[in-house]
Amino acid sequence: MADAGEGGHGAGKGQSVSRVHDVGGQSGFGPVVRDDDGQPFHADWEARVYALSGALRARGVFTTDEFRDAIERISPQEYLAAGYYERWLAAIEALLDRKGVR
Amino acid sequence: MSLPPGTRVRARAGDPGHHTRLPRYVRGHTGEIVECTGEWPLPDDGARGLVPPRVEPVYTVRFPAAQLWGEGDHVVTVEAWESYLEEAG
Repeated sequence: MADAGEGGHGAGKGQSVSRVHDVGGQSGFGPVVRDDDGQPFHADWEARVYALSGALRARGVFTTDEFRDAIERISPQEYLAAGYYERWLAAIEALLDRKGVR
Repeated sequence: MSLPPGTRVRARAGDPGHHTRLPRYVRGHTGEIVECTGEWPLPDDGARGLVPPRVEPVYTVRFPAAQLWGEGDHVVTVEAWESYLEEAG
């Protein structure tokens, strides 16, 4: 899945472009909508993605910093269209692919 | 360098092109050290698989909201690794 390669999208030579995730302080996204139903997951697959990420980090397959980096490397179009755990899944897929885990 | 509370610091400007924990909205702005929260591995190194990552002091730094966004009478605090900062004098 989305892996923009070393350096990430828009961060090639001579460029200085923040990654798409860094939207703090930007206007135009509207108010933050909070899920206040107290449920951590809203589908079974979300819980599985959460558990998978934790298990892979606990086994040393990737670190939390690498995981955050992989989320930030998702292409802007995909990132903005994806839900929270869809981003997690895309990052896990990219890291496993990059590290040759099959 | 270990920066005492009250030190004026400028957050690094520009984008490093890799994972970093310094939010864009403070880059290039001048703030003030509130406290040092200890020494921690640099996420920028960890994200690139550099072993071992550099270990640096992490500071709580406060910025006037009005300076960041042109309005607001509150302050905004961020956690910043030492290499994200330079002394503003």
